[in-house]
Amino acid sequence: MASYFSPQYLAVLLPATVGLYAITPQRARRVILLLASYAFFWAVSGSLIVYLLFSTLSIHHLGLWLELTARNGKERLALAESDQRKAIRAGIQRQQRGIILLAVVIHIGLLLTLKYSHFFLSNGNALLRFLHMPAILPVPSFLLPIGISFYTLQAVSYLIDVYRGKIQADHNLFRLALFLGFFPQMMEGPICRYEQTAQRLWEAPPMCWNNFLLGGQRILWGIIKKMVVADRLNIFILNVFSDYDQYNGSIIAVAAICYTIQLYMDFSGTIDVALGSAQLFGVALPENFQRPFFSRTISEFWQRWHITLGTWFKDYIFYPVSMSKPMKKLTSKARKRFGPRYGPILTSSVALLCVWLCNGLWHGSAWNYIFFGLYHFALIFAGNLVQPLVLTVTERLHIDRNHIAYRLMQTLRTCVLVCIGELFFRAEGLKNGLKMAWRIVTDWSFSPILKGNLFAYGIDGPDTVLVALFLVFLLVVGIMQERGVKLGETLVSKSWPVRIAVYYAAICFLVIFGAYGIGYIPVDPIYAGF
Amino acid sequence: MEQLLEILEEIRPDLDFANCQDLIDGHHLNSLDIISIVAELEDAFDITVPTVEVIPHNFNSAQNLWAMIQRLQEEG
Amino acid sequence: MVKIAKTLLGLAAFALGLLVILYGLSFLFIPKNNTKDAGMEEVIANGIQGEPENSIDVVVVGDSESYFSISPLLIWKDTGYTSYVCGSGRQYLSYSKTLLERAFETQSPKLVILETLCIYRQIPAKTVVMDEVSRYLPILRYHDRWKTMTREDFSPTDGNSYTTPYKGYRLSSAASSADATNYMAYTDKTASIPVLNRLLVEQIQELCEEHGAKLLLLSTPSTVNWNYQRHNGIQQLADELGLEYIDLNTKTQEVPIDWSKDTFDRGDHLNHTGTVKVSQFLAKYLEGTQMFSDRRGDSKYASWNTLLQDYEAEVAKAS
Repeated sequence: MASYFSPQYLAVLLPATVGLYAITPQRARRVILLLASYAFFWAVSGSLIVYLLFSTLSIHHLGLWLELTARNGKERLALAESDQRKAIRAGIQRQQRGIILLAVVIHIGLLLTLKYSHFFLSNGNALLRFLHMPAILPVPSFLLPIGISFYTLQAVSYLIDVYRGKIQADHNLFRLALFLGFFPQMMEGPICRYEQTAQRLWEAPPMCWNNFLLGGQRILWGIIKKMVVADRLNIFILNVFSDYDQYNGSIIAVAAICYTIQLYMDFSGTIDVALGSAQLFGVALPENFQRPFFSRTISEFWQRWHITLGTWFKDYIFYPVSMSKPMKKLTSKARKRFGPRYGPILTSSVALLCVWLCNGLWHGSAWNYIFFGLYHFALIFAGNLVQPLVLTVTERLHIDRNHIAYRLMQTLRTCVLVCIGELFFRAEGLKNGLKMAWRIVTDWSFSPILKGNLFAYGIDGPDTVLVALFLVFLLVVGIMQERGVKLGETLVSKSWPVRIAVYYAAICFLVIFGAYGIGYIPVDPIYAGF
Repeated sequence: MEQLLEILEEIRPDLDFANCQDLIDGHHLNSLDIISIVAELEDAFDITVPTVEVIPHNFNSAQNLWAMIQRLQEEG
Repeated sequence: MVKIAKTLLGLAAFALGLLVILYGLSFLFIPKNNTKDAGMEEVIANGIQGEPENSIDVVVVGDSESYFSISPLLIWKDTGYTSYVCGSGRQYLSYSKTLLERAFETQSPKLVILETLCIYRQIPAKTVVMDEVSRYLPILRYHDRWKTMTREDFSPTDGNSYTTPYKGYRLSSAASSADATNYMAYTDKTASIPVLNRLLVEQIQELCEEHGAKLLLLSTPSTVNWNYQRHNGIQQLADELGLEYIDLNTKTQEVPIDWSKDTFDRGDHLNHTGTVKVSQFLAKYLEGTQMFSDRRGDSKYASWNTLLQDYEAEVAKAS
């Protein structure tokens, strides 16, 4: 089972789980979900499931430990004299912080070891060679279990939320196991918070027709996005990115745009399948995308793209760093020095830098991901710096910042910046990414595009027309969604002949225009590799 | 409340804080604005805003912010 | 209970409706003849559909090993028996089965030869599903023809017209010698055959029985792809299923392949001099079965003689 798009998942595991779920009584349903989750994990990663089991046991135990510390502390507080309370409080906090530190070391440490030891050790060796010392560090390679980058973040967020008192520690090991291992979120997220899904999963609500339709629709929509567009663009992208020095700069630019489209279609399509699958069981996973290409700024883009990762970094890195005591002191000093507008930029930039280094590294252990992170850091930092200036200038020139033309300009600029970032993201190593960008700048000519040479590189005329039409359709859908139209619900509320006609049309569209079979190489789910 | 609105408008003069109800959900405020707001509020109202309070709900409108400030002042 | 039954009934009706629609659309998408222009895949392997009805005595299915080592025109030259190689690159057994089914629609061969390398090729789940389902819903295989559809696609089929001059054989005269030092070193070990592949061999066996054809498993010489473990695996399979198995890799007397000259890609595939040896062996073998009659005098088969002349001229030119 390579992905949610494989026949094993769509034709065997998912229907079997839905069927069993529908006919079992309430108390057994959660067991079905857990068994299906572990079956899925097993089918993808085999015995590596021990990592997931270990993480589950570990956060269960550490959560209880945190709670115990708090309870003991409270008892001591109740008995203590008022002048001792402060010391006791500090003691509890120290102890709890110790537990959190331990949890972070275990979980993030495991992730780092499995995912990054190769990168760090081989770079260490390169450094040693550079210093004319023998490269002696052993470079191991581990097999990565599916979804470890995603469920590790869920595990850590659970413990920190317990520590912060946002949620109670869960005594029920099985509820935690289901929260951590629920199969629709396992491959590419979304990264869920305990309070978002754990209780709902445990309740295992009865199947209902409405959820069944909503979920099924969404799965179909996700498959269409992935198979019609992402897979169709794959060969062209493979060709250009693997042999970029054969291509004119304009072709490379087109490939960067195509890759951005592909990544969005693949990732958001997979998320649609994940959210749809969960919806079948009446469980609402958090949304991961909110029409990111409508964003006016890069900062807004990251509030709309891979939302659950962005909010995770915000809640567990950005705010803790920027609101820690030393940083707050720095902020007030900077405000006095640089004024209330520029002062906070300095401190928030430190936090922002942490976030973007982590973001880059989270995607993979390679320099181009780190570059990708720093690139977005630089863009957001620059955006923050010039924002007051832009406000003044537009004010002086009487430019209406809410005018459609101004907003379109902003959106277009954001899309271009994103595409440039994705070029480095996709490039096979940072060096190649830089060379590709260099080619775009130095070796640019419109003639390959105008002459239609493009069509010789793995995508033909009809493909291009199809993709373009689909994007226009997506644009219309996006505008409707921005205006608050809930298309899924609207469709479900229609009479059954209309619904069935739409479903038949969508399935036939997929069957005819899907990029599968002879002559196509489907793209592996991109984010499952992270 | 007056004082709060003044502070907010100084940070983002382009926004209508008195009426906007989706400052976070509507992508009007970014994280830098939030850091600035927290810093200003801590100074002006002599409170400490813990990280747990930095959630969309508290920052979606001036009213919610005001409620948070009052709560934190009481807890003092 | 009633509710569940109703739901299931509804879903079944929905699925049935969908199948009907896709079945109907399939008529639009199916290639109207077996040419490349009409959208047929693997035209050389499918060229057998352009042969006159019931004119082929022996059908070969297999991957590149089959079409580089068996030359039907050479067998014709020696025996007057007609054969066709339905070979395609990296062929999966599920597709071998499809090709054979298509061949049986117009031909009634007495012997089917399955080249055995396919039996070891792991088939991706997607491919199995596609090959099995597109048998009934051809739209799955030919959906991409939306790009090239013309008005003719809305009319019924216009009959198959295409066949290959070499009857499925592909000629290569280059030589690049192979390292045959450890080739076919003896061992007791047995290479295991994927369960699904075994199942497909059994289905192919049944298919042949239904159409009154004998099934022969044949391993053609290759230093890269064949070894004794694989030999043992196929031998075991053949014994269990009661099939005849010939491994030319072990018949170094009858098929004396010279690995310094008879391969064009270092032992992966045979070139024409290798093909001659394999085809001569097969010609003798087929004569020995006494299942076929010599058609060289039959005027209906005169074209084979012309094709043979062209073929020999081409071979002479290339070497």
